[in-house]
Amino acid sequence: MRSEQSRSMCSLCLANARPKQPTPSTFQNKILYAATQSTALVLERGAIILKCVNRKRISINMAASARNSSSCWDVPDVYKHHEQQKICISRPKYRDGRKDKAVKVYTINLESRYVMVQGVPAIGVMPELVQLCALYGAVEEYRPLDEYPAEDFTEVYLVKFQKLTSARAAKRRMDEKSFYGGVLHVCYVPEYETVEDTRLKLQDRRRYVVRAVQSKAREKKQREAVNEETTSNTGPTSETVIPRRHKTSDNDNAEKTSNISHCTDFPPLPLPPREYNYFLHKSHHETVPTEDKMGTLHNAIIDKNQQKGHSSSSSQSLLGSDTECRLTSSQPSAVVRFVPRTTHLETRKRKLTDAAVHSPTYAARNNETLIGPKLPEPPKVDMEDESLNTTVSLIRSTMKQVESVPVPKPVEKKLKPRRRI
Amino acid sequence: MSRRSSSDPSDRFEYLQTLVTEFQDTDSDEAKEQVLANLANFAYDPSNMEHLRELQVADLFLDVLTEENDNFVEFGMGGLCNLSMDPESRRVILESGGINLVTNCLSSRREETVLSAITTLMNLVTPSSRSEITDPAILQCMLRFSLSQSPRLRGLAAVFLQDCCTEEQVARAQRQMQGGQTALGIPLPEN
Repeated sequence: MRSEQSRSMCSLCLANARPKQPTPSTFQNKILYAATQSTALVLERGAIILKCVNRKRISINMAASARNSSSCWDVPDVYKHHEQQKICISRPKYRDGRKDKAVKVYTINLESRYVMVQGVPAIGVMPELVQLCALYGAVEEYRPLDEYPAEDFTEVYLVKFQKLTSARAAKRRMDEKSFYGGVLHVCYVPEYETVEDTRLKLQDRRRYVVRAVQSKAREKKQREAVNEETTSNTGPTSETVIPRRHKTSDNDNAEKTSNISHCTDFPPLPLPPREYNYFLHKSHHETVPTEDKMGTLHNAIIDKNQQKGHSSSSSQSLLGSDTECRLTSSQPSAVVRFVPRTTHLETRKRKLTDAAVHSPTYAARNNETLIGPKLPEPPKVDMEDESLNTTVSLIRSTMKQVESVPVPKPVEKKLKPRRRI
Repeated sequence: MSRRSSSDPSDRFEYLQTLVTEFQDTDSDEAKEQVLANLANFAYDPSNMEHLRELQVADLFLDVLTEENDNFVEFGMGGLCNLSMDPESRRVILESGGINLVTNCLSSRREETVLSAITTLMNLVTPSSRSEITDPAILQCMLRFSLSQSPRLRGLAAVFLQDCCTEEQVARAQRQMQGGQTALGIPLPEN
């Protein structure tokens, strides 16, 4: 039954995506509807597809065997997850994202390679829509959903991507965007998945998570090994390396010394002291979904080991230590991303002032002669609760950071010399 | 506090910690829901797994499963579904008696909750937990789900039955159902 339906459905299919299908034409064999195709070719294919489809009522490919008699006249159900939810406006500032979003949790069940696009203006822009989708990844199939309730003068399309990551990117980028005068609403439609689709989706997801976690653990071990080499050079500060938060302190120690040239993973250029180490691992660049601060996903080129925990200070207080050994106030990250130079400069300044603040205490511990008054130690308040202690030190470190940030000078405009004609 | 977190990824742990603290301290249900959803979404990204483990967020999610508030349960269950993809977090969930708590969510009226519960149960299958997860009561529940109106529920239940248990187990459960033994009256969720 499925193969018959497929035959009647005109779609751009990958030849190997549907083993049960009869051999598709050579034309269809060549497909990956990627954005790299020339426009002429796209339109040509679009025209052919349009002819084939010709507004045929195509039966909906339902998931399981129970409903064997789903006819093409069935109205597709409108599910709750198709609807746009109300945007949350009551978030406190610290966790208010760049873009206002609804309160919603995304799990692998909600996501799907199948995506529905509503709000497409009914002016014959299906090829353009598919072209837009193809920017995010190969499109396996697409068709209009004529039966789906749509606003006047708009159409609804079902688009099947080859990869879940493409669907994710498309949803994120295309949702709420204007398109030929209309506003698109893009949502996942996992109900169109077959049992096999669902199974593969879950398997892929599990595999990906296991791989990601493993590679992160591996790189953490690598950095720990590096850390051990460098801490042996830092003398008295070696005792401050705390195993539990080892991974957060490795970069600090690397910064303390300039002896990073022997580390093969590091970029060849010697970095200035106390500079962020932005690891440019060549081996692990790939586009993976990452989350912005609201926990929603987007595609970004990251290193596998992004987002190392910050709070060296808070972790140390967690262990109840009285040491003043805040290695640095902030952590470098291993994220490959562009950071403007002014940020670098400011953070370096901050680190230098932090070091200046901390150095008297180091000196005191080393029983060297201390010149000038010793800074008063902040009172050690033990809240007798781990998380409260952490919060307290968090607040303290934030206050320190806030106090130490210099007021940025306004950028002076350079006067360009006038060109004499 | 100024805007922090992902603008500087190295603050991620601090940010997550702040979320957990807010969840524990706040009285507002609305804020709790937002934070819970936030944490559950963070659990989707494998790079956060370690932080979330340190912050014992799995236990946080398990705790909310017994709340009256359906949103709490849905978001908590979603968080567990995301977390349970990680083998280490899976171990934590199993050790905290997760199977029972998750199984109870199969009777939720919310479809998303049920879907998350099924997926979580599948993720929790290990050689030692398999027998508990393929308990006849659960299998019968899955059999009922596989006859549901909802295609997503049908599909997931089908994957569960095909991947997590043997044909013999399924056949036995089917016979028991036909033999008049009900699936413990677990209602199908509304949409």
